[in-house]
Amino acid sequence: MSGQFSTRVIALIPVAIAINIALGYTVQTVLKLPIYLDSIGTILVGVLAGPLAGLATGVLTNLIWQYAPGIGGGTIGPFAITAGVIGLLAGIWGRYGVYRSRPASGSQLLLAAIVAAALVIVVVLPIVNNQTYLDPNVGGFPDWAVPAAIGIAIIAAIVVAGFTYLRHDLAGLWVAGAGLVTGLIAAAVSAPISAYVFGGVTGSGTDVIVAALRQGGADVLNASLGQGFFSDPIDKMITSFVVFIVLAGLSPRIIARFPNGPRLVTVDEAPS
Amino acid sequence: MRRPVDASPGRRLSEPRSAELPPFLSRQPEGFYRSLNPATKLVIAFAMAAVAFAVREWTGPIVVLALVGTIAISAHIARRTVPFALATIPLVASIFLVNTFLYPGATDVLFKLGPVTATGSGLAAALQATLRVVAFALSVAILSLTTSTDDLLSDLERRGLGRRAVYVIGSAIGLIPRMLERAGEITDAQRARGLDTQGTPWRRIRGVLPLAGPMISGALSEVEERTLALEARAFAAPMHRTVLRRLPDSPAQRLIRWGVGIGSAVVIALALSGRLVLP
Repeated sequence: MSGQFSTRVIALIPVAIAINIALGYTVQTVLKLPIYLDSIGTILVGVLAGPLAGLATGVLTNLIWQYAPGIGGGTIGPFAITAGVIGLLAGIWGRYGVYRSRPASGSQLLLAAIVAAALVIVVVLPIVNNQTYLDPNVGGFPDWAVPAAIGIAIIAAIVVAGFTYLRHDLAGLWVAGAGLVTGLIAAAVSAPISAYVFGGVTGSGTDVIVAALRQGGADVLNASLGQGFFSDPIDKMITSFVVFIVLAGLSPRIIARFPNGPRLVTVDEAPS
Repeated sequence: MRRPVDASPGRRLSEPRSAELPPFLSRQPEGFYRSLNPATKLVIAFAMAAVAFAVREWTGPIVVLALVGTIAISAHIARRTVPFALATIPLVASIFLVNTFLYPGATDVLFKLGPVTATGSGLAAALQATLRVVAFALSVAILSLTTSTDDLLSDLERRGLGRRAVYVIGSAIGLIPRMLERAGEITDAQRARGLDTQGTPWRRIRGVLPLAGPMISGALSEVEERTLALEARAFAAPMHRTVLRRLPDSPAQRLIRWGVGIGSAVVIALALSGRLVLP
């Protein structure tokens, strides 16, 4: 327990909080992407230092973003609960070595790439099969909505499978899975907050999805949930891959000094 | 000069006498609300946020708005709270559009606009959500406009908040502007190398890694230096640090803190359990 908060971790947490805020802000304003990417630091701390450190980073990020003078967090404060859950989950994934590189080759690698692609498609299917999206009379969606969703899913599946295959690394599958599960849970935690506190909307571009689901007859909570199940898995999958790629690029010497370090680096066998 | 210290863990060192401190350290904010102890202002701000969110219908948000307004005017910060209120505009606009026109199950039609219908209960729900959001944003505003982070943290440390928490919060707040600046520098550097920030969504998604990668690896090497610096300054030593500045507090403020804290908790519990029905 106290091992999770060594001086090194205490030095890491504020840096991770600043990364969350600076990167979230930059991605939204410079790249203008409809994703949040404000949990890279949280997931990094969870993976490197454990669940409690991840939880603390997530909660503090949102509270500081909201209350610190001069940054102006708008309405991010109440979502501290979601951010905490994301950090906690990242810590659990780190404990089980999900983010460790797992070199593989041959049929095993091919199978992993196919499973990874299938995983992405399976998550998208219920969204696409949803009556509100399918029937133009119910959902009021433009005709291109379903093809667009399928297109995004196929691209995501190809990216995940290609990543796994080209890097000769089974970790692609694990990281995609961890991102998906984190995204689904984050959506389930966020929806009640957004529905109860903000009337179901968040003031960002994703509110279009909420509006469409409401038009389709969903109630306040279910509309927020539907929007979350659409945006969060994509967001958390991208975040997970960014963290994985950055960790893989770091020197094992640096990673091994953190509490979870030994579970993240593959120890090369000594040359005989 | 070395001073002998009592090394028994957990024992507090002697409190400094404020008369010895230079004036810039013992500066005292002016005005009634500003000069309250930071902990009192923190409790008030959290209580107002909780009441605005948890007490439903009209009363909770309106009471909080009235309180916030009174405090803002009496502390002469009304003008400076305006940006905080303006920052809620995107959210408020969204709340109005989505709820007024698309409120589930509402039948009391106000008017029709093309394919969508505005309803009275939708408009009421939108107004309530707006009041909640604005009341919350302004409760945040008066805390951050009247309280300096240093004062708040040093007071909380005196009350027993661990030095690790104090370090994490204080250094995170100090780091954010620097990290934003660094994000800007990395963006410019990557743009000079051909990073596409205007193209299709797919091209822009590929820009995430060139931004995040250098930021995180740069930050992690900074963590290394900070760890050494902290260790060199006995950060992990099992003692309480001496508090240099004691901020004024009074029994009356203590009473206010407990009163506000318990009072708002009781009101919220009653309102949530349905025993207290407010308009």
